[in-house]
Amino acid sequence: MYRERYSQQYRMNQPPRVLSTKDCAYLTDALSWELLAAKKAHFMASQCSDQQIKQQLEQISQLHQTHYDVLLNQLNTTEHDHEHFGYQGFRQ
Amino acid sequence: MNSQNRPFGSYQQRFAGSSNPTIKNPSTQVSQDAQFNDRDCLNDMLATEKWLTDGFNVMAREASHQSLHNDIMNILNETHQATRDLFNLMFEKGWYTIQPEQPTQVAKEYQKFQGYESQFPQQQSTPYGSGGMYQPRQF
Repeated sequence: MYRERYSQQYRMNQPPRVLSTKDCAYLTDALSWELLAAKKAHFMASQCSDQQIKQQLEQISQLHQTHYDVLLNQLNTTEHDHEHFGYQGFRQ
Repeated sequence: MNSQNRPFGSYQQRFAGSSNPTIKNPSTQVSQDAQFNDRDCLNDMLATEKWLTDGFNVMAREASHQSLHNDIMNILNETHQATRDLFNLMFEKGWYTIQPEQPTQVAKEYQKFQGYESQFPQQQSTPYGSGGMYQPRQF
């Protein structure tokens, strides 16, 4: 029957690229975590005397900043529907 | 965050009744006063990273669409790498001690769990090495 064919044809096998209310809630939470972590690592780096530790903490601060932008990009609806290549990993 | 496993190496690390040598670098000295020192910095940041991995693990599981899930998985993985880097740095500075298990004990456990393989529901043997076995559904 038409109805059956219709439902077969348009059955989704996974969720479409649409942000759910839950996604949105998680993203805003995670953005706050990343911002705090980026600031914290940077502050810690400034407090440390050991050069190696300083450098490691600064790198981690950088990483959290990058993650912040990745998460923010998921909230950016204008970019979303067109070309979104996904996060390719941290580059220094 | 985790009451059973200490989130970081405790200040007193003694392993009574063990004949095995501990695995440890010479400790880098830090101030022993109330000052927040370099070791405290690394410990605090390590705890933060561990906390973040917990958060992103839940988030990855709950994500609706695939592209969001993939991004979160990448972030989760990199947060684990950062955690690992901090841990390795602390080990390098001599702030972590590793106590090897007695080889006889390891051998005993191996024997025991090797015996349990007879309980496997599927008789085919699994190739050695983890990963690469499960084929995700293709769309």
